[in-house]
Amino acid sequence: MSAFFGPLESDRRVPARQQTRVASFLISAHGALGRRFALALPVRLESAWQTELNAQFYNESEIISLLLRATSWTPDLALGYLAAAWETAWFPSPAEGIPDPSLALAVDLAALAHAVHAGIRPAALLPAEANPNDPFAMALRRVEFESGRLLQAQIMFLKGESLVPFRDAVSAALERRHAEVRRLWREMLESVGISRDENDAKP
Amino acid sequence: MPFLSHGSYRIRYELDGPADAPAYVLVNGLTQYAELWAAYRDALIARGFRVATFDLLGQGESDKPALFISQDDQVTALHLLIQQLGNGPVFLSGISFGGLIALRYAIAHGDRLAGLVPMSCFAELPPQLFLLGNALRTGLILGGTSYLQDLLLPMNVSDHWLAPVLDKLDSVKRQGWLVNDVYALQNLMESFLDFQPLTPQLASIGVPTMILNGEFDFLTPRALHETLRVRIPNSSLVIIPRAYHAFTLEKPALTADLLARFADDVLAGRWHGNKAVWIAPEEAGGDLVPFPAGYDHLRAVPVHGAVT
Repeated sequence: MSAFFGPLESDRRVPARQQTRVASFLISAHGALGRRFALALPVRLESAWQTELNAQFYNESEIISLLLRATSWTPDLALGYLAAAWETAWFPSPAEGIPDPSLALAVDLAALAHAVHAGIRPAALLPAEANPNDPFAMALRRVEFESGRLLQAQIMFLKGESLVPFRDAVSAALERRHAEVRRLWREMLESVGISRDENDAKP
Repeated sequence: MPFLSHGSYRIRYELDGPADAPAYVLVNGLTQYAELWAAYRDALIARGFRVATFDLLGQGESDKPALFISQDDQVTALHLLIQQLGNGPVFLSGISFGGLIALRYAIAHGDRLAGLVPMSCFAELPPQLFLLGNALRTGLILGGTSYLQDLLLPMNVSDHWLAPVLDKLDSVKRQGWLVNDVYALQNLMESFLDFQPLTPQLASIGVPTMILNGEFDFLTPRALHETLRVRIPNSSLVIIPRAYHAFTLEKPALTADLLARFADDVLAGRWHGNKAVWIAPEEAGGDLVPFPAGYDHLRAVPVHGAVT
């Protein structure tokens, strides 16, 4: 197993099988975030912070659109059951220890978004020799870069004053979502011959 | 690859050299990882030392806590590592953020150390460093790890070092970019949001201390090292000629030689800090010379200064 995509095609592009599975995972995860942001987004904004919901929703949509168009898709019979497992993992799961149900759901959404935006680094899978003109490679760089920016909203919310009384509950929700996303990402990568460092092997 | 456990977190570390030798523990700066000490490991082992390196929590192969990393946790991780070294003499050195963690360790556990070498270090955040730190954090947030590296490289090393690699900076930055995550670096930088100056506690550091400062370091300039020199009783300040903030990367042979000589002097009972100011040689093995008497070592022009 390698820590990177490959062996690359003759034109130094990522093999279609790896593209298909990695893009499917990313579309599933970012799609789930996009749906949950869409549900939380009111038709008419009433508070300043809701402008960020709008930005998160459209940025997630942009990531999905980009991956749909930049990926060299190939038939992948395993995607059926893999996608079912991924989609199940993204289901809302209110953070335990927070009595307000809507706040508990918001913490869970932020924790999941933090785990996806912070814990998944698709561009780090590209070997140094990857073709810089490969749209898939560029899409992964863009997804990783935009994730770093989207992450800021989750950091501000999760570290914010309103959640100080629930810091342990927030940390537990965040660790749980990180562990879950890390496990699914690692398993998916291993299924296409990519093994990340020992650190990712942590359960 | 061995790991230490701190709560639910794992800290990657490496021990090299003879187990019964005096040990050097080296602490990384921001965006660094243990392999960057490879030249020091080899040089110090050749001089008869054992060498301990590790990745700080939030960096390299160590775990990256999701939301908060306290500097106290870094000190605890360092303490766990030093406990691995047995009862022999331990010399502790750190660069920049790692120097700060080394200072904190020396304040909390100084009795376990034989010597301390803070490099490109600070005990407080005066306005320039505070604002630079904020700007670097904003750069990380807006532009990612790669942009933070773009900001740090020209601050940290000289034209002499940069010129030959200018057309391959991406490969120079790649390993640091691969092993560092935006959120984890941000957590490390935000561990300064509630930072309290260490200055009042510096006097409690009783171990021999050699403070290393690059001549041209403008990220943590001379005045910050002067605070250490004035406050730490058995200290000397050594100025590294033509060096910037990350002189450990640029001048490993010279710096490793200075570390070894310092430890040898301490172990032989020859070390007397005297709060003196020295100028390091240009190359490893050369003589240190005292800063010219009567001149102000805090100035960049030859101005007569008051003796402190």
